[in-house]
Amino acid sequence: MADKTARQVLFDPLINDNPIALQVLGLCSALAVTVKLETSLVMALAVTVVTGCSGAVIGLINQTIPHRIRIIVQMTVIASLVIAVDQLLQAFAFSVSQKLSVFVGLIITNCIVMGRAEAFAMKNGPWMSFLDGIGNGLGYSLILILVGFVRELFGSGKLLGYVILKPVTDGGWYATNGLLLISPSAFVLIGLIIWAIRTIKPEQVGKS
Amino acid sequence: MQRDSDIYTFKVAVLLCLVCSVVVSSLAVGLKDIQKRQKEVFRQQNILTAAGVWNKDDDTQQDAAVFYNRYLTPVFIDLQTNRVTNRVQEGAKELDPKAASRDPNWHTAVGDLGSDVRDIAGIRKREHYSTIYEIRRGKQLQTLVIPIRGYGLWSTLWGFVALDMRRAAEGPEAIFVKGLAYYEHGETPGLGGEVENPLWTAKWSGKRIYDEDWNVQVEVSKSAITDYQVDALSGATITSNGVTSMLQFWLGEHGFRPYLKSIFGSTETDDTETRIDNATTE
Repeated sequence: MADKTARQVLFDPLINDNPIALQVLGLCSALAVTVKLETSLVMALAVTVVTGCSGAVIGLINQTIPHRIRIIVQMTVIASLVIAVDQLLQAFAFSVSQKLSVFVGLIITNCIVMGRAEAFAMKNGPWMSFLDGIGNGLGYSLILILVGFVRELFGSGKLLGYVILKPVTDGGWYATNGLLLISPSAFVLIGLIIWAIRTIKPEQVGKS
Repeated sequence: MQRDSDIYTFKVAVLLCLVCSVVVSSLAVGLKDIQKRQKEVFRQQNILTAAGVWNKDDDTQQDAAVFYNRYLTPVFIDLQTNRVTNRVQEGAKELDPKAASRDPNWHTAVGDLGSDVRDIAGIRKREHYSTIYEIRRGKQLQTLVIPIRGYGLWSTLWGFVALDMRRAAEGPEAIFVKGLAYYEHGETPGLGGEVENPLWTAKWSGKRIYDEDWNVQVEVSKSAITDYQVDALSGATITSNGVTSMLQFWLGEHGFRPYLKSIFGSTETDDTETRIDNATTE
């Protein structure tokens, strides 16, 4: 792992080592915020910023952190960053932050952030850890945006609030798929994405 | 090993906490003004939503600002005399319930309003001045938006109830709810937090509030049947009861009912009531 190039660290988490599709982490928020593309985008951005910055900070101080309290130190750094993101969203994207409600705060408990801090940033320098965080954030974002795109387009006939497929209820032709508006549909979509990735890359299939 | 000694561990922990708290608090303080402005815009949008002239799915943010200025007229009510007052200016501290609750000159403890007054809404202090919003077409009063607040399960819920006044001349039972909107609360998301769900607030439209004797009858109920009942939120009994209580308080005797009575209605009944009141006090 130590021999990875910056390029691999940044781009591997997109498909080869995707935190949602391969490691199946961070599902809670992936189900909750993907009804609309807009909330998916903002959430993806927030998580990417947090994983990137927490990687950089932990990578910078990993030589000074006492081993016994390293998890608490990681939590403190992550929690501070999440509060910062939450405050910024409330100031500059108020309506979106209302829609995301508790899920911004819950980034703290998102396994991806903590997992990358413990597994990567504790052993690597700030720059590589930053790239790793951004890469994993982008991997998360990719799945979120895909799911959000499908759910908003086929669930309510819109994209980013603009009508694409005019629903029957508004005098159009498209019968919206109500299933996509409720959270379990994200499970189905993520399952399909995992299936597709593992069909193309059979080495990701777990050994039983 | 030096890195795992107790002293060193303490030092790192304290230093980290200090750095993080400085970063977090300076950000919170620095962004406070912008967040406050955002909250005010959101509050105005909720007034419009309750009044049914703006909705966040169909209208833009710009519309909200335009509609707010075009349709709504703020009216300042002195809750002690139940009359319209000009003593306060728009934006005055006295009109902000949170500021008013900090200054004893601007509020009365609910227990001091009268010996039989119970603080059903859990607000503890009632401000002296409040702002309601009128929508008129020509001279005729169409809608009145009234601020409400009260305690739910975890927090005070802040919101607005809009009253449809078009048929009010027919009597108190012809005042209908036009809409309800909450803009600030800390209830459990998904349970009590559903007070802001448009599907639930839509159920309020057209409900009656008072019976013919001005008693507040509107309530949240587990099996809503009559014109006065609205379905409760499932899994949120205490929040639902809180909604009922705050409506009873703010539309009741120590809320805006005396003012509502004064703006229309038969003056005769008002007179007899005053006479009875005087007789009993004497």
